[in-house]
Amino acid sequence: MTRADKKLWLVLLFTILSVTMASAGTEEIGGDFTLTDHNNDTFRLSQLQGKLVLLSFGYTYCPDICPTELAKLAVVFDTLKGESDDLQGLFVSLDPDRDTPAVLSDYVGYFNSEIVGLTGSEKAVDQVARQYRVKYQRNDKAGGGYSIDHSANLYLIDQMGELVVVIPYGMPVEHIVDVVRGMLSVDG
Amino acid sequence: MVFRFFQPFLIAAIFVTTVDANSINPSVISAPGYGELAYKLPEIGSYQLPPLGEASNGEVLIAEGEQRTLYELFNGKYVLLAFIYSTCSDVNGCPLTSHVFYKIKSAMQRDQVLASRLKLISLSFDPEVDTPSVMGLYGNNFRYAGSAGEWQFVTTASQQSLDPILKSYNQVILRETDSSGRTHVGYSHVLRVFLIDPEKNIRNIYSVDFLHQDLIINDLKTILQQAQRSGETIKLATASQQTSRLSKPGDNKLGYELSDYVTDSQDLELRKGEKADLLSIANNPPLGLPAIPVPVDNPLSREKIELGRKLFYDRRLSLNDTFSCAMCHVPDQGFTSNELAMAVGIEGRSVRRNSPSVYNSAYSKLLFHDGREENLEQQAWGPLLANNEMANPSIGYVLNKIRQIDDYRGLFEAAFDGRSVSMETLGMALASYQRALVSADSPFDRWRYAGDETALSESAKRGFEIFTGKAGCVACHSIGERSALFMDDQLHNTGIGYRESMGFSPDKQPVTVAPGISIEIDRAIIDQVGEKPPTDVGRYEVTQNPHDRWKYKTPSLRNVDLTAPYMHNGSLSTLHEVVDFYDQGGVPNELLDPLIRPLGLSSQERSDLVDFMRSLTGSNVDTLVADAFNAPIGDVGEGDPSWVHGSEVEVR
Repeated sequence: MTRADKKLWLVLLFTILSVTMASAGTEEIGGDFTLTDHNNDTFRLSQLQGKLVLLSFGYTYCPDICPTELAKLAVVFDTLKGESDDLQGLFVSLDPDRDTPAVLSDYVGYFNSEIVGLTGSEKAVDQVARQYRVKYQRNDKAGGGYSIDHSANLYLIDQMGELVVVIPYGMPVEHIVDVVRGMLSVDG
Repeated sequence: MVFRFFQPFLIAAIFVTTVDANSINPSVISAPGYGELAYKLPEIGSYQLPPLGEASNGEVLIAEGEQRTLYELFNGKYVLLAFIYSTCSDVNGCPLTSHVFYKIKSAMQRDQVLASRLKLISLSFDPEVDTPSVMGLYGNNFRYAGSAGEWQFVTTASQQSLDPILKSYNQVILRETDSSGRTHVGYSHVLRVFLIDPEKNIRNIYSVDFLHQDLIINDLKTILQQAQRSGETIKLATASQQTSRLSKPGDNKLGYELSDYVTDSQDLELRKGEKADLLSIANNPPLGLPAIPVPVDNPLSREKIELGRKLFYDRRLSLNDTFSCAMCHVPDQGFTSNELAMAVGIEGRSVRRNSPSVYNSAYSKLLFHDGREENLEQQAWGPLLANNEMANPSIGYVLNKIRQIDDYRGLFEAAFDGRSVSMETLGMALASYQRALVSADSPFDRWRYAGDETALSESAKRGFEIFTGKAGCVACHSIGERSALFMDDQLHNTGIGYRESMGFSPDKQPVTVAPGISIEIDRAIIDQVGEKPPTDVGRYEVTQNPHDRWKYKTPSLRNVDLTAPYMHNGSLSTLHEVVDFYDQGGVPNELLDPLIRPLGLSSQERSDLVDFMRSLTGSNVDTLVADAFNAPIGDVGEGDPSWVHGSEVEVR
């Protein structure tokens, strides 16, 4: 084996190693988490076992996506009100600096009393966002203030606490109702 | 606190705009796909969606460790393929795709035909985040709701397996960064959704403004109806596409007249050169062609072909070192120019006729449209010396220039037993290369000469019956028992030249100024600024016999699908127009060839004829084009004779 060959082998070896390490690092999406709810109480996802959870992410200053998403959730709750008591909506703020429990309480209350607003330390919120592969980023505005770009999928977590469906942002509310209804009839 | 004061007002305002919970993102102008179409769609079946190219294959993951090819996923269905990433937050990006796909999926619940023929595929271009298990969570949407119709969410194993797919579908994906160089959360990409038919041809590409379920379903029903009506037509129309992936202009303008035109620049990576064994191709012409006639004094050899190829692509063979033979006989455009009716030579000088294809010119006993040369050896000098083509001032000038170019040193001597460059050897070398560009073994040849019944579609077979029967095309475009040249080495008056000479032209001419925008311009206005139409009396110019006025040579129809535009002046753009022209009986004049008469063809018969002609594309065209891409192009270099480098061509 020539010197150049050896070098090549080493490069190859490192490539293989780094690839395997990278793939080993990808954890499963979803899972339990702990945050603070809009009544300023500690909240664990696992305390909702037995309920079907609709989990969304956003922030109260959000001008467009979040209100429409929450309005959709409200429609889902209104439609399915008579069919099940085992539904829970969650709205995780990606803007803990501004979204205190009190702010969140006001905000989600406008949409539906069944939805719980969640916040926490920046680190805690970021951890949840990572778990659910939510991408978000703070954009400072000229003249002060900032907005947050974020992905806006809806996560459906079953009665066992397992993430089962992700509904892409853009799907109409009828679809969300259909999926939730389908999950309720299968699992409940 | 300012915030508390404003908040209720803000929410109220939002509620007003979101009474309909489906109206997404009121602050951004939503794409048409979110609402009703603002215009009436054309009737199903009233328009054409010609294939735009082949949908490429690639390797994807449908679940953890389960690899499939895209073609396996297509599975003989019509497919809508969208490139997405799951964390996309641009309302008029991926979410729009989801919305429109959902609408189509809903339509599939109601429409059995849609459900059984169509498949929706969302392919992620973010394999890092969108692992197979994440995509599985999206797929689960339909475990619980709406089972009819298939919508599959897939990803790739890695960026390495993704890149070739993105490249082949022309999807440029950029990681967004902010001004400080930090990676942004999103990707920037141009939304495109591809409609692909079961033969894997792309039939339409929808951008944001056109991604609407009604339009897509209309298109699909149109294709389904046409595919059903003409049986296998679609399959055939695409047969040539499949054999000729490289044969289209680098910046393909097909469909430019349509408002949904999307730039289709060919990726240079896909157009790499590969040298072919031209000598053996020439010595064993493909199925359907006879042995090529070779002059006794210029037998083929590898060295001559190689040298001829170098000369053919060498820009230095023109007066100002810019213009090679191949710039009119463009290899990837059927060895002609698809985008020019009449050729344009050095410095933009107008040429008065269409560049003839070089394919199968080995068999021609008459060269140039008026048949004024009789062999390729002599013909080569025509364009070299024409003032409006390569514009060399004299034979001696060309020969002296080549003698002074270093990279030709010894090449002529090696190819011609010690003979150096001369008027004769230069012609012989160029002729040898062009003679080797033989192309056949088309679907027609495999059907006719190898007895493969499946090679030719039913419509093309019907077209063949019309070609040889009712329409009588075969009288000039000959087909033999064991081979076919599709030409008769004769000249005929079809009236095209007569019409041009008489100045018959419509009062107004449509001019496409932008995709989908065409304006009618008075001929008189164009004439004020345009060049005068050239005088052209055809064969008469060679013989001075008045009976030969407006006669032009019969071109071979082999590879005719690749050699648009048609006729000696390129005045007809498509094969359909050509068939219509002959169906009407050409342009009547006192010298019109007696074979040309109104044919009374039905629209089905006309389309069958076109299908037949499309079945004449040779199987080796990509090989010949790739070989051409491999040739050096002769950029003028240091040391080459040019006043730019302080050395001029010596004219002795």
